[in-house]
Amino acid sequence: MRAARWLLVPLLAIPIGWVLFSGLGRDPSEIPSPLIGEPMPAFSLTTLDGRTLSSAELSGAPVVVNFWASWCIPACVEEHPVLMDLAARYGEQVLIVGILYDDTPQDALEFLVRYGDGGWTQLDDPSGSVGLAFGVLGPPETFFVDAAGIVRAKHYGPLTQATMARNLALIGIGP
Amino acid sequence: MLADIGHAAVVIGLAVSLFAAAASVLAARSGDIGLARAGRRAVYVACGLSAMACGVMVIALLGHDFSILYVARNNATTTPPFYSFISLWAALEGSILFWTLLLTAWSSLLLYRYRSAHPALMPWAAAGLAVVAAFFFAVMTWPGDPFVSVTPVAAEGNGPNALLQNHPFMGLHPPLLYLGYTGLAIPFALTVAALVTRRLDGEWLTLVRRWTLVPWIFLTAGIVAGAWWSYEVLGWGGYWAWDPVENAALLPWLTATAFIHSAMVAERGRSLRTWTVILVTTTFVLTLLGTFLTRSGVIESVHSFTQSAIGAWFLAGVLAALVVGAVLVVWRLPDLAGTGSPPALVSRESAFLLNNLLFTGLAFAVLFGTLYPLLAEALSGERLSVGAPWFNRVSAPFFAALLFLAGVGPALPWGAASWGTLRDRFVAPALVGLAFATLGTQAGLRGAAPLLTLGLAGFSATALLREVVRAARGRGRSRGEGWIRAAWGVATRNRRRYGGYLAHLGVLVAAVAVAVSASGSVQATAVLNPGQSASLAGYTVTHIDLVREPLAADPRVFETRAQVDVEGPQRGTLQPALRDYPNSVAAIATPIVMTSVGEDFYLTLMAYDPGTGAVTLRLFINPLVAWIWVGGAVVVLGAAFAIWPGRRTPAGAATAAPGST
Repeated sequence: MRAARWLLVPLLAIPIGWVLFSGLGRDPSEIPSPLIGEPMPAFSLTTLDGRTLSSAELSGAPVVVNFWASWCIPACVEEHPVLMDLAARYGEQVLIVGILYDDTPQDALEFLVRYGDGGWTQLDDPSGSVGLAFGVLGPPETFFVDAAGIVRAKHYGPLTQATMARNLALIGIGP
Repeated sequence: MLADIGHAAVVIGLAVSLFAAAASVLAARSGDIGLARAGRRAVYVACGLSAMACGVMVIALLGHDFSILYVARNNATTTPPFYSFISLWAALEGSILFWTLLLTAWSSLLLYRYRSAHPALMPWAAAGLAVVAAFFFAVMTWPGDPFVSVTPVAAEGNGPNALLQNHPFMGLHPPLLYLGYTGLAIPFALTVAALVTRRLDGEWLTLVRRWTLVPWIFLTAGIVAGAWWSYEVLGWGGYWAWDPVENAALLPWLTATAFIHSAMVAERGRSLRTWTVILVTTTFVLTLLGTFLTRSGVIESVHSFTQSAIGAWFLAGVLAALVVGAVLVVWRLPDLAGTGSPPALVSRESAFLLNNLLFTGLAFAVLFGTLYPLLAEALSGERLSVGAPWFNRVSAPFFAALLFLAGVGPALPWGAASWGTLRDRFVAPALVGLAFATLGTQAGLRGAAPLLTLGLAGFSATALLREVVRAARGRGRSRGEGWIRAAWGVATRNRRRYGGYLAHLGVLVAAVAVAVSASGSVQATAVLNPGQSASLAGYTVTHIDLVREPLAADPRVFETRAQVDVEGPQRGTLQPALRDYPNSVAAIATPIVMTSVGEDFYLTLMAYDPGTGAVTLRLFINPLVAWIWVGGAVVVLGAAFAIWPGRRTPAGAATAAPGST
């Protein structure tokens, strides 16, 4: 009995230490999204060059869905080179889809002229309904969808090379 | 140059703190007075060194010395002096520096005050405090060095965090909160000393109670000031979001409040000693946990500092404090065993017990909700967040029961209460409570929460006032004094009791204000072109014009103001604004609040169209919000009244002899 009470100390310290320690590597900008593990919301939108694209056409390959806007400065400008790099390096393996968030096609095209057009599909979401379906709070937000059409990760805020690489690994893309 | 002085102060501070700890432990074991004095003086020196380091940082900030990385990151040549000064605590490394200053200042105050009293306890307390100080100096020496230099020196710095340079309250809220947090190291150190020396007696309890109450006052003021800051700055019309870091400040407040109450029972006998020791230890561990949560990037929060290696250090600190506390308590468990018999069911003792169950239960619930996302991710890899609705639902019954006890506890007698006493003391308050709730329905209040709060507050306030009136009438009759004079005489003769009553009244006022403002708030969003109007609850707002210009005080900041005419119960021309800071992605809202006794009119500019001058405005009409701040101020006043030194020397406090430092 006298010795048993000493068990209190590790019983208290170990679980608390473990829970707190497990959180140390967390990146708090990776906000939990109810979509993770769920199929990507379906949509059908017009591209900036006038075609219609539906989400059904995206199945079969991993997809990176990037919500952005020309007015979202500097965050969307900061992450633009990361997306350009993605298109250059993994353009064959992954589909990149940009979706405008509360923006006009003219302003978006001007942005692409100024900062570079990587050639990936850009969709206009004039009613904002697709942004709503994805639960976008404010651009930039990026969703990583695997080849089966399941959302695997969501990144809030500008992407960096490191966060891009980590999230790509979740949808089966990597060096 | 400045960086070298600051860095030297920190490193010497670490060495001096370690010396203070070693000398104090040796002094405690040998009883050597000279060594005890050396340990004590080393703590003063550590305080001086951290003051020097803080001074160096302030000089560097005011002089925009961008050769120091911290200054380059958190200051710009255009930053006004006031915001340069408060940048000392606005970012990670500086806040730890400031924290260390406050901690060593509290320690020095304690050790100087009792330099020739409590000779058995003080060396151990000094050792405990010196170890905590050494930990913070070590953090600043290795992972969180505030004096890192950069070359080449930039011509312009990044400027302070946009959110933190938007309101003068940033000069008030963090220092108050930090004074509370750091001060709570003292009761912990005193308790460690008492456990080691097996002196868990009345002397220890009196000391710990007093030295908990002082930081508790600062913590309370800091939390209220933080809520006020959030309300005035963030533009969402609210003041408390159950954000993890708000919870981190609330948790030690809850356990410290439980302690303040349990100490009153423990003082009357040997019961609740173990419990009291556990509360003091938990409170300190929770203050460290709060630091860990804000400084490690573990939990997402608007308060989070940038992620850094400091997290691992603070984790080690939290665990070390937890283990030391737990080992000491387990070691001394036989000494701590209570000898008191269980109290009568209806008595002041049982009211205190219930109070403690409620406060710790609430603390546990809040801790669970705060850490649940971490726990869930560790167990199942699932990421989720626990939102305000969960916290509101879980905490409401606790708060309701505590409101009830705030009046019941003080009015119940020690020992067992007879039916006659109960009828005598509680029938009138119950009727007043019912009357309050009825008046509330008449005034248009709907919903169980605000009506119950109003009823309970009416009940408790009447029970408290009845106690004051009863005592004042007795004194007035026997001495022939007038009402006010007799009440003042009664209160100053027993400051603890009547200060406590005043604090309870403040809580009741704030509780009613919280409940009514939460249920009675109305809001609307309006998109207005210049010249257009919108109406809400008797107010009409008219958008006159959109003005865009750089801020006079800091031209790097660009302000867009809507000029809005407000007509209604309160009127005026308001200029809610959005400010674009060069180092912030999002524009920072600058809401405008008009306050009257009954309600706040709160106006935020959400968005604007520079082409047409159209604005999106958000209007809130928040009833009684100002009374939350009034209630908070009354709580602080009451607690300050309770510990204000009276003419009588309180029992158990030794008097200091002159001529020793």
